Amino acid sequence: MKASSIKVGRLSKRSPIVDIAAFLLVVAGLTWITGTGTATLGYNWQWYRVPQYLLTYEEGRWLAGPLIDGLMVTFEITGASLILAFSFGLISALCRLSDSYLARMIARGYLELIRNTPLLVQLFFIYFVMAPIFDLSRFASAVLALSLFEGAYASEIFRAGIVSIHKGQWEAAHSLGLSTFDTYRRIILPQAIRRILPPLTSQAISLVKDSALVSTIAVYDLTMRGREIISETFLAFEIWFTIAAVYLVVTVSLSLVVSIMERRFGDAG
Amino acid sequence: MDKKVPGEEIIVVDNVFKTFPGGICALSDFSMRVRRKEVLVVIGPSGSGKSTFLRCLNGLEEVDKGSITIDGIPLNDDKRNRFEIRKEVGMVFQSFNLFPHLTVLENLNLAQILVRKKSRKEATDFSMALLNKVGIPEKANIFPNHLSGGQQQRVAIARALAMMPKVMLFDEATSALDPEMTGEVLAVMKQLAREGMTMVVVTHEMGFAREVSDRMVFMEGGRLIEEGPAEQFFTKPKEERTKLFLSQVL
Repeated sequence: MKASSIKVGRLSKRSPIVDIAAFLLVVAGLTWITGTGTATLGYNWQWYRVPQYLLTYEEGRWLAGPLIDGLMVTFEITGASLILAFSFGLISALCRLSDSYLARMIARGYLELIRNTPLLVQLFFIYFVMAPIFDLSRFASAVLALSLFEGAYASEIFRAGIVSIHKGQWEAAHSLGLSTFDTYRRIILPQAIRRILPPLTSQAISLVKDSALVSTIAVYDLTMRGREIISETFLAFEIWFTIAAVYLVVTVSLSLVVSIMERRFGDAG
Repeated sequence: MDKKVPGEEIIVVDNVFKTFPGGICALSDFSMRVRRKEVLVVIGPSGSGKSTFLRCLNGLEEVDKGSITIDGIPLNDDKRNRFEIRKEVGMVFQSFNLFPHLTVLENLNLAQILVRKKSRKEATDFSMALLNKVGIPEKANIFPNHLSGGQQQRVAIARALAMMPKVMLFDEATSALDPEMTGEVLAVMKQLAREGMTMVVVTHEMGFAREVSDRMVFMEGGRLIEEGPAEQFFTKPKEERTKLFLSQVL
């Protein structure tokens, strides 16, 4: 029952110095490869021009540069999409597990359609075809496309989590007279969520990265701001690397937060 | 033990058929009556359909044919009936099936609050009384995984009793326990029987069956082979098959 609390730690008591040395060796190797690669490229690196696009210091206070402004839009989009995606995912998972043939078929159709077409095409379809009909803003189109897309993957994760809960839990809940709704809400989902937190996190991380695609419909997110700066300054490598680093900071922080949550959950049963 | 007087029929099972996918026939033209305050013990070899019979009584398994009525309510396709019956029928499982993410007290409170619509205070008071009854009030705020098997099963019994059921079903409640823990769980079940709870018990504990049951039922192949009062059943069984089975298990 308590698979999550089993410590998968090192059994041998190896000195951490060996690990640190190995890590440094790998980093040194990668640096060398990048160094020789860029040297042959003959690229004129101008890193000193980058910080102004992140933060500027004027008249005694810090001002956010265009990249940070873009990051805020990325946060807004991913935040809204995350909530919607997990809602779509949970609802379609419940539909797929329901007794109703119609609900199962609708959910199935949604999953197959979304998972077998490119996100970019879905985004264009929603923005150019659906948005004029339903009067959606660029932001709303972006959020809708992303959450429909990630929701289809989240759906499979939810379904796997729900079916992984032992049948005895259903039987115990039913024999106490609990309704299906209460059984899901109080018995099945609380246990399932704990199990699927790691794959849901990966899905959230994918969402953060996939949100870069919304720049194609001119939503001023981190990526769009970066492209804008590049077209003005031709600092292609510097800006793209900076953007990648910012995405990395966001995704790694997300993983850390979730692993702390997991540890907290692990204590309770 | 004072002999209690069984009341009117509370469980009425008529000509029930149940076949599992794959063609295994679990119940075949099976009929049974259980009176209020009666303790019915069902025995039989594995695969005889005794657990299926029990699971049909609260709708965990659907019957293919035949009818089941619990306390006047027919168990049929009407979801409300099924819901009503499950409120009145408590069940204890072989594998306990406690809710691992809830404390012992929360396990007991849950259905009282959600189904019986009690306040948290009322539910907690009753839960604590039940935990006292099964002898583990000090475990109220512990998660089930930290309890021994016997303690878990006693919590499971208390959880079923929290709904104040009219009937209790025990599906091999002690089969997953070692002998010492079996004793503590059987003691609770004996106490319930003495208090006049209507019980249907599937078990392999023949000593317990003999001591507690008002009526014994022997099943094989989804059919009733023999039934009768415990004393007569164990000392003078009529059917050859019953004699053979008893000679193997006693």
